[in-house]
Amino acid sequence: MSAMTVGILGGGRWGFALARAAQVAGNRAIVCTRRDTSDRPEGVEVTTDVSVLGARATLIILAVPSAVARPVATTLGDSTTGAHYVVHAVRGLSSEGLLPISTVVRQETPVKRVGALAGPVLAHDLLEDRPSVIAVASHYPEVIDSVKAAIASPSLRVSASDDLAGTEWASALVGALLVGVGFARELGVSEPLIAGLMVRALRESALMGIAAGGLEKTFYGLAGIGDLMAAMAQQDARPEVAFGQKIARGARASELAAEMGVRIEPIDLVPRVLSFARQRGIKAPVFETLATVIEGKGEVAEITAALMRS
Amino acid sequence: MNEPTIFRFNAERRDIVDEVVSRVLAEAKDPLLLLNDAAYNEIKRLEAHPGDEREQLVTFRNLARSLGRMGDGERQTKLEQLARMYAWDVAGNFDPKVYRFASRVLPSLVGGLLSPLQTMAGGGPQAALREHLVTQGPVGDIARLAQIGTIVFVPTHLSNFDSVAFGYGIERENLPPATYGAGKNLFTNPLLSFFMHNLGAYRVDRRIRHTLYKNVLKAYSCVLIERGYHSLFFPGGTRSRSGGVEEKLKLGLAGTGIEAMIRTALRGRPQKVFFVPATLNYQLTLEARTLIEDWLAEQGRARYIIDDDESTQLERVLTLVRKLLLTEGSIVLRFGDPLDPFGNRVTSDGRSIDRRGRTVDPISYVRRDGRIVMDAARDAQYTRELGEAICEEFAKNTVLMSTHLVAGAAFEKLRQAHPKSDLFGLIRHKDEVFVPRQELSRAVGELRDRAAELEDRGLLVLGPGVRKRGATELLDEAVRAWSGYHSFPVLAAQGDGYVLADTKLLLYYQNRLVVTGLGFSAAKGSLATSSGGAAKAGQEVAS
Repeated sequence: MSAMTVGILGGGRWGFALARAAQVAGNRAIVCTRRDTSDRPEGVEVTTDVSVLGARATLIILAVPSAVARPVATTLGDSTTGAHYVVHAVRGLSSEGLLPISTVVRQETPVKRVGALAGPVLAHDLLEDRPSVIAVASHYPEVIDSVKAAIASPSLRVSASDDLAGTEWASALVGALLVGVGFARELGVSEPLIAGLMVRALRESALMGIAAGGLEKTFYGLAGIGDLMAAMAQQDARPEVAFGQKIARGARASELAAEMGVRIEPIDLVPRVLSFARQRGIKAPVFETLATVIEGKGEVAEITAALMRS
Repeated sequence: MNEPTIFRFNAERRDIVDEVVSRVLAEAKDPLLLLNDAAYNEIKRLEAHPGDEREQLVTFRNLARSLGRMGDGERQTKLEQLARMYAWDVAGNFDPKVYRFASRVLPSLVGGLLSPLQTMAGGGPQAALREHLVTQGPVGDIARLAQIGTIVFVPTHLSNFDSVAFGYGIERENLPPATYGAGKNLFTNPLLSFFMHNLGAYRVDRRIRHTLYKNVLKAYSCVLIERGYHSLFFPGGTRSRSGGVEEKLKLGLAGTGIEAMIRTALRGRPQKVFFVPATLNYQLTLEARTLIEDWLAEQGRARYIIDDDESTQLERVLTLVRKLLLTEGSIVLRFGDPLDPFGNRVTSDGRSIDRRGRTVDPISYVRRDGRIVMDAARDAQYTRELGEAICEEFAKNTVLMSTHLVAGAAFEKLRQAHPKSDLFGLIRHKDEVFVPRQELSRAVGELRDRAAELEDRGLLVLGPGVRKRGATELLDEAVRAWSGYHSFPVLAAQGDGYVLADTKLLLYYQNRLVVTGLGFSAAKGSLATSSGGAAKAGQEVAS
């Protein structure tokens, strides 16, 4: 197959990691970003002009934080047509409701053939060509084919699913659970108990995912349990874990976010998914606890005791 | 206005049938499988209910027996014969003379027959339907689009009266006539059959379930759209059993819209296709009783096909129409915004626009690596998304009338009286719960006010006059409409109040509220109490 050009919107580590994956797969990558890109992988083209992506690539990967996904997608919409494929690599749901980012893309652009990337893959593994596995979900088989052609290689296995909503919800909720992992670890909760709680939390997540139109099995696949296992095994690899630890030491969520300099998606996400669950009569004690933790309310002993009882 | 394409239908009919047959044959990858499938399904069906089709049964038995011995050429011939037989059976007829006669004379006839009082009062014979059927929505835009491309009307489906009301509505608004697939059972009535047959309806035999027949239907629908014949599908598939507005669609033939667009584009002359969602709203539903019984049976998994219901009884039809005519605006045909086959909005000059208002070329959606391609899996997904867009239009164009609001308020009283009962439990408490008139009237008023708020946000529509009228007036109007039409009282007057008498019909009429988030949803097992709660939550998670 002849080389293709993959457009990547977002110049964080994640964006360049995906650009590297495209290179390894024998393709060209253009990254659109306004950030400083001095440490980018060799051979990756950079532009500040979004319209370059639309003109040169059919497949565009959106790799920005969920908070800016909407405005970025709006801009992208000006230089895309119905012929483009847009796949996002955002771990989160849109900040102004619980819309999956693929829905935001469909609202803000003329593009209909959308998809999502998720799973246990880490940016630095991709940047160093270490063998990894990534999940792609789309309702459109050709989007999946295109993503495979773009980034699959002997060092990156692409696993496909047609459960887009489930994949996006799983990916977002795992991020939230990691806060709980960090929190519990800091308090000296044993790893087996954390594992037990996470299994429960994953079931709660799956129930919410089903209510949002996803499939249960997706939560027990790469985007759910796969991502969770990877993040739990990797000490401090994800900011959510570190965030949970600092909360346990008494820091306040709002101050922490500013101090850590990264966006902690679960701060906004947890209260919103909780009210989503309540509206639908889904019992989610672990998420209830998580909300209490993030708000900084409640005594640790009480929290633990309540969880053991419920 | 140019003469609608359908006026040419008879001249083109043979050509259309030929094209359908050759298309079905071209796509038949495995003739043996198709023939076996057809024979198997037909033998099964005809053995169970041979009726007057014994000859067919023999034919298919012989076919099944001899298939194995046939050579490829012979199978191909058999396949062509069958496909041609089905195509001719499906193909409709259009007689401009009958159409002109029907459109000029029928309304007067129907209007005159049904509302003699009005006629005598000098309103003119057509006044009755004119006043009682209200049409709303972007009619002018739709008329312009009909000049640019093929219109595919996709209305909600509640009653067998729908095709009559819809047909009358589009004729009166000077919209072009549309061809549509009607159940073959409707063709058994000679008078109805004569009109339907000559007004462009094509015959769909729902009892035939094999692939070859379905392929013929799809090809027929596709060829008509390609050739510019405006069409009508009820995307819900059948009449809504629950009385609710469709929230999930079967779509079936609607997918042929994309196929028609692609095929014409590949030939270099792309035909634009516009889907026009519409809701048909009635104060009273002809077959309410039978439909809700069927729905309840289905909830208990014992579904049966309705063969004989109120709509086959002329007397009931006449009573219904008389009742409907008592209230002004008791039938509302409301058109939603036109959509392209991908669910994008369409401007009045036929341009597709995305949600941000940018113009987008619909052909771009079927391109891969720059080339226009057909892809069944992709197009099925596009059609699902079109279905979602149509459902959004249905929801916000749902017109609530007094019967729906009163049933909603009364059913809520029933639930309050029996908070722990499930759906079937509630239904069993008929003739039990008494509600004082004042209390019920207050509840109706509150429900109406919540509905008015949602109307302000563009999430639903209140029927003509519903906003201005007093709650008591709405209550009286609904009770008057029900009484005498339905065999037993829905709300039975008793002293200074009402007994919730017919709980099933209350459920039926309140089900119309479900899509707006104001009604009790049996599926969700709860009431979406916060104003617009369900509607909002639905948007939140809609993908």
